[in-house]
Amino acid sequence: MKLDGTNTLAAPIETVWTTLNDPEALRRCTPGLQELKEVGPDTYQATLTIGIAAVKGTYSGTLRITDKQPPRHYRIALEGSGGAGFMKGEGSVDLEPQGNGTLLRWSGDVQVGGLIAGVGQRMLGGVGKMLIGQFFKCLEQRLGSGT
Amino acid sequence: MKPAAFEYFAPRTVEQAVDLLAQHGDQAKVLAGGQSLVPLMNMRLARPAVIVDINRVDGLEYIVAAPAVLRIGALTRQRAAERSRLVAERCPLLRDALRLVGHVQIRNRGTVAGSIAHADPAAELTAVLTALDGEVVARGPGGTRVIAASDLFVTYLTTSLDPREIITEVRFPALPPGTGWSWMEIARRHGDFALAGVGVVLALGGGVITEARIALTGVGPTPVRATSAERLLTGRAPSEGLWADAAEAVRAAVDPDGDIHASAEYRRHVAGVLVQRALCEALTRVREAA
Repeated sequence: MKLDGTNTLAAPIETVWTTLNDPEALRRCTPGLQELKEVGPDTYQATLTIGIAAVKGTYSGTLRITDKQPPRHYRIALEGSGGAGFMKGEGSVDLEPQGNGTLLRWSGDVQVGGLIAGVGQRMLGGVGKMLIGQFFKCLEQRLGSGT
Repeated sequence: MKPAAFEYFAPRTVEQAVDLLAQHGDQAKVLAGGQSLVPLMNMRLARPAVIVDINRVDGLEYIVAAPAVLRIGALTRQRAAERSRLVAERCPLLRDALRLVGHVQIRNRGTVAGSIAHADPAAELTAVLTALDGEVVARGPGGTRVIAASDLFVTYLTTSLDPREIITEVRFPALPPGTGWSWMEIARRHGDFALAGVGVVLALGGGVITEARIALTGVGPTPVRATSAERLLTGRAPSEGLWADAAEAVRAAVDPDGDIHASAEYRRHVAGVLVQRALCEALTRVREAA
């Protein structure tokens, strides 16, 4: 499943880069995040309870940040599993200055399996994009008030 | 599979049901027909801690024709509405859409209100409510309120209902005499969720379109009201060319997701095709009514 999007953030590129790499910002903005623990350099273990409406599940997994080219680019690799399914994905985040702010482009390729992938296939892409959108909207708000 | 453990209540009145929801908040789910909720629970994709079964609440099963509006109580089964003479006379668009909701076994238990509260992105009844500018009556701890269709559907499986609210009635505006309608959808097998579905209402006067309503399902997180296409049609004389223009306007207005059942491009294309065919059928019915 390929997902992508763009966001405009009202902060200069260095501030956006710092925020994206700040575990506290990730903790505040990741929907349903229960726990985020740094277990190695640029490697985190996370537990999330996510879903839509009544359909929710708890997933735990690992997130790794690689190919860091501050302040413009990094890649993410993640994998997780829970009662309703498992997922494995990788993505990239690219930043470029735009006026007084920053243009953020994200894209990812995710494989989802298990019950949620079978039964929820119709909504997986849309809901996934929505949750990722919530994450970036939250960052937008944090950065907007910061400047 | 079996559901995760839950507490079960079967209130006898709406007040008792609302009290239970107020107590348990978003830990509770209302059980009416159960045709969406129970499979989710059995697969453990949803694990509500509390179930408030409203099937024993009196006074919620009715279809009443008020002037210009069909009032349908929250426990009215889809099959009863589908076979109702009042629905056939006052709101045949609803009847036609009901016939395509799942399978008859589902419609025997599933409720009209339940389908609307569940807000599946490919549901028929949510799109019909949207096409007709219907509304729901909701009761909660704060009292009763009326929610218009345009304010009800938020995103996938999500309405603006508070978790402590229960729908008590759904209101579908009746089709004025002389109006044409059409419901069309496409699915891979009969009874499958629609890949795209369209509900259309058309009225003519003096040889031109005086009213056009177009709502779609399956092409986004909520039902889509194709207002740009509606504006394009109003005041114009019907023609094949006009239907084609409306189809293009609809294609420009929708942003469907793709999945293993159908690509985004397919859904977008087919939405336009269905609009064209539905407008054609609606026009035939206008002429038959005249």
